[in-house]
Amino acid sequence: MATRWRGPALPGNGSVLLLAFALLCAYSLAALWSVTEGIHGPYAILASGVPKTIFWRQAVWIVLAWGVLLAVRKAPLSWIEETTPLLYLGVLALLGLVLLAGPVVAGSRRWFFLGPVHFQPSEPAKLVVVLALARWLAAYRERQAVAVAGAAVIAGLPALLVLKEPDLGTSLVFAGIALVMVFWNGLPLRLLLAVGSPLVSAALSFYAQTVVHNPWPWAVYMILLIMVLWLGERGLLESLLLLAGNLATGIGVQFLWRGLHAYQQSRILSFFNPARDSYGAGYQTIQSRVAIGSGGLFGTGYLQGTQKGLAFLPERHTDFIFSVIGEELGFVGSTVLVVLFGVVLWKAIRVAEQARRPFSALAAVGVAGYLGCHVVVNLMITTGMLPVTGLPLPVISYGGSNLLVTAAALGLLINIGSRSFEV
Amino acid sequence: MNGDRLDRGALLRWTVVLLLGSVVVQLFVLQIVRHDAYRRQAKQNREVERRVPAPRGRILDREGNVLADNVFGAAITVSRRALTPAGPDSTLSRLLTWFALPEAETLERLLRQQREGRSRLVLVSDATMPQIALVREMADMLPGVAVETRRRRRYHRGPLFAHLLGYVGEVSADDMRRHPDREYRPGDMVGRTGLEATREAWLRGRDGRALEEIDARGRVVSRRRQLLRPVQPGRDLRLTLSAALQESLAAAMAGRRGCGVAMALPTGEILAAVSLPTFDPNRLAGGISSDRWRSLTRDPEHPLLNRLVQAIYPPGSPYKIVTSLTAFRTGAAGPHTRYLPCTGSYRFGNRIFRCWKATGHGDVDHTAALVHSCDVFYYQLVQHLDLASLAATARLLGLGRRTGVPLPGELAGNIPTREWYDRRFGRGRWSRGVLLNDAIGQGEVLVTPLQMVVMTGRVATGLADLSPRLVLPDSGAVAPAATPLALPAPALDWLQRTMRQVVDIGTGMRARLASMHVAGKTGTAQNPHGEDHAWFVCYAPAEAPRVAVAVILENAGHGGAVAAPVAARWLRAYAEWSGEGSGRGD
Repeated sequence: MATRWRGPALPGNGSVLLLAFALLCAYSLAALWSVTEGIHGPYAILASGVPKTIFWRQAVWIVLAWGVLLAVRKAPLSWIEETTPLLYLGVLALLGLVLLAGPVVAGSRRWFFLGPVHFQPSEPAKLVVVLALARWLAAYRERQAVAVAGAAVIAGLPALLVLKEPDLGTSLVFAGIALVMVFWNGLPLRLLLAVGSPLVSAALSFYAQTVVHNPWPWAVYMILLIMVLWLGERGLLESLLLLAGNLATGIGVQFLWRGLHAYQQSRILSFFNPARDSYGAGYQTIQSRVAIGSGGLFGTGYLQGTQKGLAFLPERHTDFIFSVIGEELGFVGSTVLVVLFGVVLWKAIRVAEQARRPFSALAAVGVAGYLGCHVVVNLMITTGMLPVTGLPLPVISYGGSNLLVTAAALGLLINIGSRSFEV
Repeated sequence: MNGDRLDRGALLRWTVVLLLGSVVVQLFVLQIVRHDAYRRQAKQNREVERRVPAPRGRILDREGNVLADNVFGAAITVSRRALTPAGPDSTLSRLLTWFALPEAETLERLLRQQREGRSRLVLVSDATMPQIALVREMADMLPGVAVETRRRRRYHRGPLFAHLLGYVGEVSADDMRRHPDREYRPGDMVGRTGLEATREAWLRGRDGRALEEIDARGRVVSRRRQLLRPVQPGRDLRLTLSAALQESLAAAMAGRRGCGVAMALPTGEILAAVSLPTFDPNRLAGGISSDRWRSLTRDPEHPLLNRLVQAIYPPGSPYKIVTSLTAFRTGAAGPHTRYLPCTGSYRFGNRIFRCWKATGHGDVDHTAALVHSCDVFYYQLVQHLDLASLAATARLLGLGRRTGVPLPGELAGNIPTREWYDRRFGRGRWSRGVLLNDAIGQGEVLVTPLQMVVMTGRVATGLADLSPRLVLPDSGAVAPAATPLALPAPALDWLQRTMRQVVDIGTGMRARLASMHVAGKTGTAQNPHGEDHAWFVCYAPAEAPRVAVAVILENAGHGGAVAAPVAARWLRAYAEWSGEGSGRGD
């Protein structure tokens, strides 16, 4: 194992993650300042529509987030591991409570209002589920069946509660976290291929049909699958069965979809994207792509974007903040941000690999799964590769709950990374 | 690591690289490869070329009173895109419930507008304050719905000028195809009939163009705009009509069915023209329910018909003017010519032709025959004339052809000739008996009320090129009529004196005025539609004519009894209006 290249040797004391977090915070403040500034139209400066207080609130959240990060970095891991069951139960209770007593905002119950602070219990739930899964999977490493069944329950309960809010995007994040951690914990590749790949095939086929109207994503996937099976030197029968399964689900979804009435199709698409009907199909996606595309190589210039306000994206300071960055900072500025996220994820996986104790490794890989889901899904939505479902871009999007939890997750990573050589 | 040879860390890392890499590739495609297209689209997103509609010109009377202008009304409109997802909770169903609109009728109207290719459909054309407030309040739940101010045509005097001004309607696909130069857009106003239609080019003006900055919902976010082409407002139309005189004429006719018209001399300016029954153009401008339209078009009294130019009547006794002048012109008779006395009827071949006065006029000369309107005299006089010379005189006086006044649907009437009878009945299948009917304005002679006032004006002034005018010249004066009628001066002189006697001592005595001398001719025209039509044509003052009047009241009886008093009532108002109350010197 030691012979294999594992990427650039990064310093182990967490300075990379601290630097990355600091840069992400700077990106967030810069973007939010821009969004709350007036818009320079061709003939006049127009009100932005997002109040300046959004910027100042985020600044306060960032200060608090640094406090949380530094605190979690120094907390004893054993203490965190021991309080996990308690945290898990507390989070379940909060998720239940918000369903019963939370106020309805835009048709869903997701928030608690504590004076001036809005708190979304589903955000800490994601990190707590990471810890709970890590503890469970570490305890039942030798019995895969029990480990997987328990993981399904641990991630499934909060996912169902969140789905009821309703918040499809967040409940899918729970599934993503569980999938990554179970995989890490040693799910046999054969099982993963047999169960996972037909599901991926079906999802890609659906995606190709409804989002890009182009069969290529699915076709590329099938070619990749054949290559993997070839190179993996799997048995011929097994390979053929796998291919058949993938073909069956991929084509089956197409038949199923075409068999539906237009209004049924419309309902399913609206389920993935509730904003779809409010002003024509794909309105947000189109506007976001226009904003990003008009940025070009270097962008329109900081504060010079015109689409951010005129395009009237309702979530331009939250879920769609990346399109503002894409417009004003261009391909260079947005690629730097994507690379920054890549570094964080890369580092998280390195921490997992270097961790000595199974709980630590699983927690680190869970954090990677959690952040990875948010980053990849949000970027794919804003660049028009996925249908719209509300997920914030970690650290960058305005919002205290997400920022504090992301800071805690990064603190946990640094904590684990700094103990790689402890027993 | 966990028993199999799979490097799970590497797999996860490469998954991250693959996914984030695909995002970067997508960014490359959007920002580098398709940058130009998106930059253009971004520009389009925030700038839109808008039409700045030109206001339609006003219509004024000769004193500057406004007869038609534009008012701003609030219309609730909805974008065509916002209506497409139909369903129980769609924008459309909300609109129908909240505004309590009749579903079938509203849908039909929206569909019709959609077919016309409009991008914004009018839901409520004249919105009330509560409706406007509702739209503003619930804007978030009604995407694509807006309150727009729209110009609406307003006819201040309502029915009084309906037939002359006409009314506007919404432009049709046909209008747009036929007049590409006028740049009509669906929903624009266009003159449907009357002067609104014939003077469309003058009234319309030309729309301007401007660039406006908008947001993604199409709302204008910047007041400043770049003018690409200035607006040319429609020009005002100044009419020869006087609202005061028009009102007096309508009052004088007192709601009877028929037509009255008054023309200034020697300019030919129409001062008043009333066609009854009438309608309210305000109800027709900008949409009318099909029920109301049907009731207007099927009304047996034809309120939409402009009787001034679109109705033709037998002229009756005023046509004796033509017969007499023809006799003078051809030398067939003079002022004192006499024939067999009138016994109330006249035998021609095996037919009996009756005089209106059953007891007969006795022995009358030409002058007395016109003053008392003796039909039997004219039956005998016309036998010395021929159809061609009768028709020539009629044409000299403006009958049998369109006057060319700018009103749609003007009819030419009919002055029969030998060729016409040959065509109508066949060569040799009609007798000279038709002449007897023609001589007294019955039979196949047909005229419009406007032609009758022109005839009267030409007789009064002796001018051959006197023509009716409805619109005052824009600048400077039009050359006045100056060509004398090709008639012997003594004939015209005799006619003018005799027409004055008609009013002073003859059948038109009910038109006598204290303030000025009136010269006229009564008529009682038989017609197949029932009671006789009552005619009266006149001019005044008799010594120096300044105004000519023609009145016809349908199925009303004797002209002298019914129509002459109408003219007299109006002339009294005219005298007051013109300040010529001291005309009677002799």
